[in-house]
Amino acid sequence: MKKFWSNLSLNKKLVLIAITLGVIALFAGDPYGGTTIKVNEKSIALSTVDNSDKVSVTELADWIIKDKSDFELVDLRSEEKYNEYTIPGSQCIPLPQISSSDLLRNQKIILFSDDDVASSQAWFILKSKNYKGVYILDGGLNAWKEKILFPKAPVNASKDELVEFEKMKEVAKFFGGQAQTDSSVTETKQEIKLPTTTGGTTKTTAPTAKKKKREGC
Amino acid sequence: MTSITKTIIHAFEKDEGHEHIHIAAKPYSNPYLVGIGLGLVLLTAFVIMGRGLGASGALSTLVATTVNTIAPDHATGNNFYSEYLGDGKTNPLMDWLIFQTLGVLAGGFLSGTISHRVFKSVEKGPRISTKMRFVYAFIGGGLLGYGAKLARGCMSGQALSGGAVLNLGSWVFMMMVFVGGYAAAYFMRRQWT
Amino acid sequence: MNAPFFKFEYFNSDVSLIIAFAIGIAFGIALEKGGFGRATILASQFYFTNMRVLKVMFTAIVTAMLGLYFLSVIGFVDLSLVYLTQTNLLPMAVGGLIAGLGFIIGGYCPGTSMVAVATGKLDALVFVAGMIFGILVFGEMFPGIEEFFNSGYMGTITLPSYFNLSYGLVVFLVVLMAVGAFTAAEWGEKKMAAKTGKEIL
Repeated sequence: MKKFWSNLSLNKKLVLIAITLGVIALFAGDPYGGTTIKVNEKSIALSTVDNSDKVSVTELADWIIKDKSDFELVDLRSEEKYNEYTIPGSQCIPLPQISSSDLLRNQKIILFSDDDVASSQAWFILKSKNYKGVYILDGGLNAWKEKILFPKAPVNASKDELVEFEKMKEVAKFFGGQAQTDSSVTETKQEIKLPTTTGGTTKTTAPTAKKKKREGC
Repeated sequence: MTSITKTIIHAFEKDEGHEHIHIAAKPYSNPYLVGIGLGLVLLTAFVIMGRGLGASGALSTLVATTVNTIAPDHATGNNFYSEYLGDGKTNPLMDWLIFQTLGVLAGGFLSGTISHRVFKSVEKGPRISTKMRFVYAFIGGGLLGYGAKLARGCMSGQALSGGAVLNLGSWVFMMMVFVGGYAAAYFMRRQWT
Repeated sequence: MNAPFFKFEYFNSDVSLIIAFAIGIAFGIALEKGGFGRATILASQFYFTNMRVLKVMFTAIVTAMLGLYFLSVIGFVDLSLVYLTQTNLLPMAVGGLIAGLGFIIGGYCPGTSMVAVATGKLDALVFVAGMIFGILVFGEMFPGIEEFFNSGYMGTITLPSYFNLSYGLVVFLVVLMAVGAFTAAEWGEKKMAAKTGKEIL
């Protein structure tokens, strides 16, 4: 065997190496690693402890107001619910389709649904597929409605809390909501119309604007 | 720079006659080894930058930037030029391809100097004059510039880089380049053979 | 470690420019060593006297393809983040044809012309001037041909995806095709050399 190898010319050696690698490629599998999910339990468990994978609704509202566009906001609910109302700038990827979506592994992705259940499931799926920057909107849309759209005036508030509430009033107005100053507000919540959103459509154009670096020839 | 222009003008005035270049230089390396080297450079670009190599893009950026300086409204209104002008916040000349191309110039010069292959000359076959060679070079360059832009890339960007990632359009482009080259080879035989 | 490094923001775009320059130097050295800074060598591909262009090009493609494939399979590189130009079928075919004509008429391609300029070839300078002119003509004509330019859009699509074959199978087939092409090239060169008696550079 060794003699056979050393008797070959350089070119023939290269051809043999190339064909061998080609044959290995036949059995080596999918380079996109698409269907397999590798679960690293330790790292996933660790990241849940320090809450580094959660984003609060107030943080998100702040980013949207400041027009930050370095993240992808994903609404995991059905399309009907998405069209009814969604957080501005989000795109609709229902939970069943989350693993086959267009999302890239190096993007910052913030997931939300009505509560935390679906977003936690989606978070786990994406983390197992080696997505790096996945976050859960803490409290989901329910927290968004409660804290951002219809913030309630704090009872027996301190001066700081009142100042904070004034700020929240402005934030609520920005998103088309309304601050609740009356304590008997829980029934009227149903009647208050959720602000109509154009959030869905604007997101589709944003990704192309972000790709300013040309990568072609 | 002026000595080069003088030489070009001089070449147009006097026919230099048959000038087949002989190299007293080092011979070229095994093409397969060179290919592996080139492939590794390309692979490095993929692994570090997530993109391949290129060439025509740098010239396009130059052209677009020049047009923008002379006639900014025309450039920004044109969908082709505006692609190369970026978002208006960064200097379009701070472009990856431009820096890569500058590197190619440096690397080519470096390698050529080490192997004694740098000298003023005109590459052409024995049956054609320098003047005609320049005419063909200009026409060929024009066709290549046009074709490369139509195909969104040249041999380096499409054929080489796109080929390695098995891009469909790149392979189609590559095949057609060989078709075009072989088809016109007969008509160009006087220039090269 | 996650690759491509730039896509995971291991360094910023200013550093990427320095990297571009470094990669360019390596690119230029490889091209020059391959004899690609000379139009006569490039053109002889199309007369079967010197098949360097085919050998170097396909070897490079196969090397990078194999490297990228295996690095992705082991999970080091995220292949989905590696840039893929979109495919516009007819414009790319026509563009390829025109570029092929330009290649044999002009004797260079954009990358090799840079190396040729760097090693003193005057015709390469003229070629570059021609390219700039060609790009300018294209740019000025663009509003008229924009529709054609964007026609035949097929998204970003790879050979495996188009032919519905596994990526590994296409890799294997490309290797086979390249080896076949090299064998034919070696045979062709020897025949031409025997006929003309000229030495292969």
